[in-house]
Amino acid sequence: MAKKGKADRQDKVARRATAENGPRIGVYVCHCGLNIDGSLDCEEVAKYASSLEGVVLAKDSMYTCSDAGQEQIKSDIREHNLNRVVVASCTPRLHEPTFRAACVEAGLNAYLFEMANIREHCSWVHLHDRQGATEKAKDLVKMSVARARLLQPQVETEVPITPRALVVGGGVAGIQAALDLADAGYKVYLVEKEASIGGRMAQIDKTFPTMDCSICILAPKMSEVGRHPNIELMTLSEVESVDGYIGNFHVRVKKKPRYVTDDCTYCGDCIKDCPQHMPNEFDCGLSTRRAIYSPFAQAVPATYLIDMDSCMNKHGIVACDRCYQACQHKCIDFSQQEEILDLDVGTIIVCTGSDVYDPTPLTELGYRRFPNVITSLEFERLINAGGPTGGNLIRPSDKTVPKSVGFLQCIGSRSKRSNPYCSNICCMNTIKDALLIREHWPDTKIYVFYMDIRAFGKGFEDLLMRARREGVVFIRGIPGEILQDDNSYSLKLIGENTLLSKLYEYEVDMVILSVGIEPRKDSAVVKRLLSLPSMADGFFMEAHPKLRPVDTPTGGIFLAGCAEGPKDIKDSVTQASAAASRANILMAKGKVTVEAITARIDPERCTGCGLCARVCPYGAILVDEETKVATVVEAACTGCGACCPECNFGAITMRHFEDHQILAQIDALAESDAGGKILAFCCNWCSYAGADFSGVSRIQYPAEVRIVRTMCSGRVDPKFVEYAFAKGIAAVLVSGCHIGDCHYINANSQTEKRVQRLWRKMARLGLNKERLRLAWISAAEGMRFSQEISALKEIVEKITPEEIEKGIEAFAPKRLPKGEHPDEATRPV
Amino acid sequence: MKFWRLPLDAEEQIIPVGRLFIIADRCKGCNFCIEFCPNKVLEASPDFNRKGYHPPVMKPNHECNNCGLCEVICPEFAIYSTVEEKRRFTEVDLVRYEEMSSGEGKGEQE
Repeated sequence: MAKKGKADRQDKVARRATAENGPRIGVYVCHCGLNIDGSLDCEEVAKYASSLEGVVLAKDSMYTCSDAGQEQIKSDIREHNLNRVVVASCTPRLHEPTFRAACVEAGLNAYLFEMANIREHCSWVHLHDRQGATEKAKDLVKMSVARARLLQPQVETEVPITPRALVVGGGVAGIQAALDLADAGYKVYLVEKEASIGGRMAQIDKTFPTMDCSICILAPKMSEVGRHPNIELMTLSEVESVDGYIGNFHVRVKKKPRYVTDDCTYCGDCIKDCPQHMPNEFDCGLSTRRAIYSPFAQAVPATYLIDMDSCMNKHGIVACDRCYQACQHKCIDFSQQEEILDLDVGTIIVCTGSDVYDPTPLTELGYRRFPNVITSLEFERLINAGGPTGGNLIRPSDKTVPKSVGFLQCIGSRSKRSNPYCSNICCMNTIKDALLIREHWPDTKIYVFYMDIRAFGKGFEDLLMRARREGVVFIRGIPGEILQDDNSYSLKLIGENTLLSKLYEYEVDMVILSVGIEPRKDSAVVKRLLSLPSMADGFFMEAHPKLRPVDTPTGGIFLAGCAEGPKDIKDSVTQASAAASRANILMAKGKVTVEAITARIDPERCTGCGLCARVCPYGAILVDEETKVATVVEAACTGCGACCPECNFGAITMRHFEDHQILAQIDALAESDAGGKILAFCCNWCSYAGADFSGVSRIQYPAEVRIVRTMCSGRVDPKFVEYAFAKGIAAVLVSGCHIGDCHYINANSQTEKRVQRLWRKMARLGLNKERLRLAWISAAEGMRFSQEISALKEIVEKITPEEIEKGIEAFAPKRLPKGEHPDEATRPV
Repeated sequence: MKFWRLPLDAEEQIIPVGRLFIIADRCKGCNFCIEFCPNKVLEASPDFNRKGYHPPVMKPNHECNNCGLCEVICPEFAIYSTVEEKRRFTEVDLVRYEEMSSGEGKGEQE
């Protein structure tokens, strides 16, 4: 309540200030060391800003985000009675919260602050065009000032956080995250798709660099999860749907039946009589299992289960009851049904893990053709005492111990033919495996064929040196081809030693392909359910690669383990504890304020047509059939703004992204040389972040583009585009998340429809359709963003003044609804 | 195909192979056995029996595993099976596994 009172007070201060003095704007242009000042003239930009309407003072400073810089803003607010603040510096995705907090401390409402992104979107992408960058920065500041003039104070709502967590995935990361949170006293739901928790770590024999037995250190943690009073373990379960928002997620989980009750004593009598045989997935198909089985000895929960896909009773008729007959405790129950569980949780940690690369497409290596070519995961099962051979390393072709083995590195990694990234763990895994062979069969000749050995972690180099000392031969250059001797099944490796520039031929008994890690095949499902962004390589993306490495852009959802990128066990555990701690912070606070960016409907103007309700991805708009008025459920509204363009009566206001605020930005950029400029609408989550990414990567593109940020591309009203053309702007880019990846479920499908409608209209009016471009750019596609802008620039160069003139006439302001023009629309304050 | 390698313990597996006995002339064509066979190894014969029905026959290249359901549900005592032989785990089982895990059962869930 105290907080709300404070916000109200701020509100009043701001309103009073605005009413009494009109906008009093302070502009701060940040040098950011040489990051900004190195490529454009900050002083000139600040001087220019001071000439803008409503600007009371404009300063440039070295580091505006520093304490001194923030203090300056605060004292200026008090001293000069500022009622709006504009900071021209880095991306709002980085420092908007910092500056907002400074404003709030000085008594200004957070929503009266505006940022101009002149670093990621300007200085970094126009490193060698000082003139162009300075002009662009001026424009960006002018647009921000124009928007700032019309900003309104907003009051944020506070929502409670449910003190329960959901952990998706029961690998080592999920286990650690669940245990940490459960120990902290929260109820944790751990959802695992497979029959047992443990994940990849349970399959591995030893861990590097300490050579600890993997299952020996994991099993105690697994059983702790099984018996922890705060953890509800759900195996054979998958998340079906996730609704809600930070602190208040409603999760639906589908739990498949085990067909074996909890009374199971794990005696194993049941499996002997099962007639259905199939390869055991846990052993990579190197052993068999029955339809009733347990994936491995240390499985948690320690009960058998029936794989109904392969059991004869899958059609609901008990054709075979041999397991039931064999079970002394009669704990087999064919009548079990699938359950749907509804959970309410406050935070979600995603630990869905990874798959291993399937080397079949690399045909020259002969995997699937030559029995003695195996993958590193198959090797782990072979050398594992709990594996199909009881820990005896044998050749699959004749079950003899190999006298010589070759490890091939970077299979499926660091190559244009497979995955371009380094899989992080394979080098050390191979060194560990080589030492294991050395330990058990000291006479084996071991060759490691590598590109580069990356031994970057604590204790890694020592292990590498030990392997060298113990006679493991490292050869730089991966074989170009493997041939098999059809009598002995031995393998001949042919390649080039790139250190000696000599061709080599080696004959070995067995080849181990050190395969890389890739995103899980079903990660697209998780991605869709939780609307998570992912990198170009398919791994989930963190909110900030350095400073928020376990957060996702969606509040309350965190990442850990290989779902975020290839990493070893130690890193997975570290990340899991970090994610648990982040979730703990939220839940310990018990409440969170959500941004006041939600839609409001003016009941006076609303006719209850229901068009807005139809496009709302969250069903947050309800139309009262009797009063014919639509209302927004504020807690459910996420602020995408897809509803606004739908309203024909101007009844919907999207708070903080109001029509006249966006139109004012367009006005500002069109004031001079509109015919040479590109207006880009970017959604906050994907394309704006993509543009940021191209800045961070210093990918250069033409300086003619000016970016207007909206929360979602669905907010982009066709009338904004028409208005831009009416103002003579040469080209417009509308960009958002890829279809299917929209941060707001599917709001960008509205964008697509609207742009297509605009194209049709432009064709009808005889305008060049190329002037309007639609692009889906993810947060990781910085290169894509720059390509889109370069393509538009080419189009802009070809556009004649006549064409521009034609556009101005076609979309002349008379077509705009009354009251929308920023010049006449000074909202009552 | 997910798994291509014969499991290392394939030799040690003993899989029962059933031999089906169909007394064709008793069949009245109810098709229970064809419909309910969990391994779907039966189909209606194109031939008629003495009563004018199409009795069941084994589909070519299919294998009974002697679960005995047909024997239980046949109203006319026209079908039964015995364990004729035992065999090892072979490539056929890999193919069957692939069909089962990618087939109807999993398909619905995904």
